[in-house]
Amino acid sequence: MLQPMTAKELEYVADSMSNEDLLMKQCAAVVAASMTPAIRNCCTQMISMHQQHYDSLMHAIQHHQQVAPTQPQ
Amino acid sequence: MNHQANKQLLSEEDLASTVLSDLKRVVREYATAATESTCPDMRQLFTKLLNNTLNAQGQLFTAMQQANMYNTASPALRQELDKQAQQYKQTQQQTKQFLQQNLGGQQQSMYVPAGGQQQGSQSQHQSYFN
Repeated sequence: MLQPMTAKELEYVADSMSNEDLLMKQCAAVVAASMTPAIRNCCTQMISMHQQHYDSLMHAIQHHQQVAPTQPQ
Repeated sequence: MNHQANKQLLSEEDLASTVLSDLKRVVREYATAATESTCPDMRQLFTKLLNNTLNAQGQLFTAMQQANMYNTASPALRQELDKQAQQYKQTQQQTKQFLQQNLGGQQQSMYVPAGGQQQGSQSQHQSYFN
């Protein structure tokens, strides 16, 4: 049985999505500027990791929409 | 022209350092989120993202260190290690006595670390518990 997400959890999810979004862009900036193969590889992999994290967080919101109350409790 | 100026504004090292420190911050935030979660599935999600981010931070750190972009802190001196080991052996002894006095003959169950995801490092860490 799925429990409703708390307001606090939603705040953390939203903040985390901002973090993941920013990190994707920052990693892209490193890939564009970097001349060191190891750093480029690391940041290229990280872009897809941050994308996956963003998707997981988005999925968590969507998954909890159905059990969220519409009135304050 | 503008694009080129932007590219040179921050060095590769500065950009990588920014990512590294943001990863450190995000690790802390996921740890806080996981410990303050009420829903089991949310705790599980934050814990998973925490572990992934922690691993990524470690990988970037290693890559930066190998590219000489990171000055490691100077090693602790032998006498400092001796001092701390001495002091905490005493603390450990006192706590053992405290526990024996307060728990008496109650059987103490053996602590077994949970989760076997990092099986490679587990046997290595086992020795620290003994």
